[in-house]
Amino acid sequence: MPAIADRNSSPFKGMSAAKSCEVVGSNGCYTPQKRRLRSNSAAVNESPVSTPMKLKSPRRRLVSSPSSPANKIKEDLSGKPVKKFWNPRDVEQMRAVKEALHVSTAPSTVVCREDEQKKVLDFCKTCVKQEKAGSLYVCGCPGTGKSLSVEKVKQQVIDWATMEGLQPPEILAMNCTSLANTSGIFSKILSMNKSKKKITGSTSPLQHLQNLYSNKQAQLGSKMLLIIADELDYLITRDRAVLHDLFMLTTFPFSRCILIGIANSIDLADRFLPRLQSLNCKPMVVTFRAYSKDQILSILQERLLVLPCIVFHQQALELCARKVAAASGDMRKALSVCRSAVEILEAELRESASNLSLTSVEGEFISPQTVPALEIYPSQENSTVRIDHMALALSKTFRSPIVDTIQSLPQHQQIILCSAVKYFRGGKKDTTIGELNKSYIDICKSALIPAVGILEFSSMCRVLNDQGLFKLGQSRDDKFKRVTLKVDEADISFALQGIRLFRNCLQ
Amino acid sequence: MGREKEKEKPSEKALNLLRSRLADPNFIFKPLSDSPDSNYSKLKFIISTSVTEACNNSILLLGPRGSGKVAVLELVLSDLLQQYPDVISVIRLNGLLHSDDNCALKEIARQLCMEHQLLFSKVASFDDNSQFMIAMLRECGLAHKTIIFVLDEFDFFAQGKQRLLYSLLDAMQSVNSQSVVIGVSCRLDVDQLLEKRVRSRFSHRKLLFLSPSKEDTERFMEHILSLPVDSSIPQNYTAEFNGRLKKIISDERFKELITTYLSFNFTIGHLVRFQAVSYMDLDVGFLSLENFKTALSSNQRQSKLECIREYKSIHDSSQTSDNYAANVCLRAFEHLLQRQLISFIDNKGHNQSVEFRPVKLLISSAELHQGLKSSHQCPPVTMLRAARTHLENPSAFWLLTPQHLYSVMH
Repeated sequence: MPAIADRNSSPFKGMSAAKSCEVVGSNGCYTPQKRRLRSNSAAVNESPVSTPMKLKSPRRRLVSSPSSPANKIKEDLSGKPVKKFWNPRDVEQMRAVKEALHVSTAPSTVVCREDEQKKVLDFCKTCVKQEKAGSLYVCGCPGTGKSLSVEKVKQQVIDWATMEGLQPPEILAMNCTSLANTSGIFSKILSMNKSKKKITGSTSPLQHLQNLYSNKQAQLGSKMLLIIADELDYLITRDRAVLHDLFMLTTFPFSRCILIGIANSIDLADRFLPRLQSLNCKPMVVTFRAYSKDQILSILQERLLVLPCIVFHQQALELCARKVAAASGDMRKALSVCRSAVEILEAELRESASNLSLTSVEGEFISPQTVPALEIYPSQENSTVRIDHMALALSKTFRSPIVDTIQSLPQHQQIILCSAVKYFRGGKKDTTIGELNKSYIDICKSALIPAVGILEFSSMCRVLNDQGLFKLGQSRDDKFKRVTLKVDEADISFALQGIRLFRNCLQ
Repeated sequence: MGREKEKEKPSEKALNLLRSRLADPNFIFKPLSDSPDSNYSKLKFIISTSVTEACNNSILLLGPRGSGKVAVLELVLSDLLQQYPDVISVIRLNGLLHSDDNCALKEIARQLCMEHQLLFSKVASFDDNSQFMIAMLRECGLAHKTIIFVLDEFDFFAQGKQRLLYSLLDAMQSVNSQSVVIGVSCRLDVDQLLEKRVRSRFSHRKLLFLSPSKEDTERFMEHILSLPVDSSIPQNYTAEFNGRLKKIISDERFKELITTYLSFNFTIGHLVRFQAVSYMDLDVGFLSLENFKTALSSNQRQSKLECIREYKSIHDSSQTSDNYAANVCLRAFEHLLQRQLISFIDNKGHNQSVEFRPVKLLISSAELHQGLKSSHQCPPVTMLRAARTHLENPSAFWLLTPQHLYSVMH
């Protein structure tokens, strides 16, 4: 395996950058960034191309090794190793692509988070070196790589400590959602301590820990304890005691714990730990900002590097990165959109599978010697994920189903929505079913449609309530239940604009 | 005894067969599964690729009640269970019953135990159950088995701290586990109810279950109501039944009926509870258009008509003549107001006397016709009748005052 990696890593890396920009026609501004990133990653990790082997968990089938993607790199046109377009009909390649894009696949290098990782790593290193306790708070929006980065740092700290000859700290990594009781965290910390003393029933785990950390003899020679508490805001209670006590543990004179807390809110430390400031031991804060468009693009490309073929059109990736960065900067969403685009391509190919004539299929398999290089690309172009696939995937992810549903409601329910919009235009925010009924009957009369009775009307209102378009209050009598509209008026007008009746009504 | 059995009419057998079909939700949605673009095939594709490619996935099925979400899901699951017998295990939770985290975890642990023939302990604590679930997920991941979580009434799970959702979706972020989370809900905006952490981990795949088109509906009716050729019912009866059914379905009036029905609610579930089949006249032995008409009208119960009948019964007990005094008319008018069969046009003008305030009719003319058809003279009814004659002219303004009514009645 190392042999394959060496043969393919250097020429492959250099050539693929040049080739992909030549073939797909992206402008030059991306290549310098690509090369810089690759040189960065080369420093940290020797051979990303060998990761197809590394990533393959035991559950990969053994069949894949003879036809593994790495071997296919040997095919070349005009003597240079080149990244060819993928064949989406190949099951193995499809599986590899989907796995590379799956959220659960942890990349071997965490790109775009080098600064933040360095900060956390330096903090841990100083704590371990000086054998001092400390606390750190990592915050950021969901999907910004916090847990991933802290995982990497955890490993790096142990490696570094072993290299430096220091005692590597013990690690307690936990997710606070798994605690049944918020004070259970202290029992977990205590159990890591492996203290010889028996835990008596009278002292709570917290008190026990506090005694331990105030006592010099007990701590001599024991290891440092690195506590990583994920989703820290589950520990917030009304009196904020648990969170406070947890961070206070690091302030004791002989404390041995290094605490890293991860949560979403940026001001958790300020809001919930005000007393720490007076003691001058506020936790250090590392903020993971939402990903920008360039960062998302580079992360996606890094993930796709492990594949030997070009899967996405460059512009499709850019569109995805732009849209997701503008919306939330959440990496999980970007990966989900890319996977969805791949599936759309797959579905399209399946549909046209019967229509696809034999000649175009054979076109992909014509040996390179007989056909000039450029002629192959047009037919293979069709098998990459293009911008239209990506646009469809983006609209499916970001669009709410409300407009579709309104358009497919039965006529009378649409009339009810319309009458609600008209009624609430006057500035009122809610009304009763009885009043709404009158408005509804008015519209029916003007449209010369026979209106339905009050029973049907209230059951239709209830159906709309179930779907989340209305909100019905409680009342004994149906007629006096209060109704509010939960959908924007603009959405309803937009959805119904195709029907003349509603257009006239709502103008 | 034997002779009675033979004499069981084929129509009765047919009726029983149709009734049992209507009660089985899986049968109803089978024709939907044929077209490649349908939700059935999309769902099947997503779940089967998750199983074969061993990756995690999550999906939401959205649509109004009765549009067949759970039925299609059950169809897909039963097909997949046949295709991959040992690889899939299904855990079913319902938001109405299991929205509390402790309850939900207990139920998950119990179902996992049942699937894998382990002993379940009722006194296991929350911690134990969650450890068990995580361990099982890991074991199944290593053994290449997929666990499918079906969360019915998903919007109830989104209440409170959403711990269960978080732990399920978080488990899918790790390489070890192999699971698919399917949420079923009738609220369209259910993913707005999720916390941002949970929403980030959810893969934003949604399948919308919308109303079937008219052609689809007709196909349905035909599929449900036509008798199979190979049942125990005599062949000639079956042939004639199916022939008549085809004629009914292609009849213009039937199409009109269906369109009227579909214009206020469309869910297939409602359509199926059409009691047309129970109106089938056993003597004649076949379905007819009138059966459908009766069923449609019985579906739309009119409460107002009942109150008109009530008046009739009260009135019959006392004897009156055709002409009524003004105060009787007024009293009758107030009755109508109270029952909300008519109402004042605007709320102003309280100082005006009742006799001169304009009113409008709150029930549709169709209801009015139907109600008046079946009742006799009594002051409110006569008043309504008068109103009807006044309003029969479609271009007339639908405004009356009590004075008008009084004058029309005399």
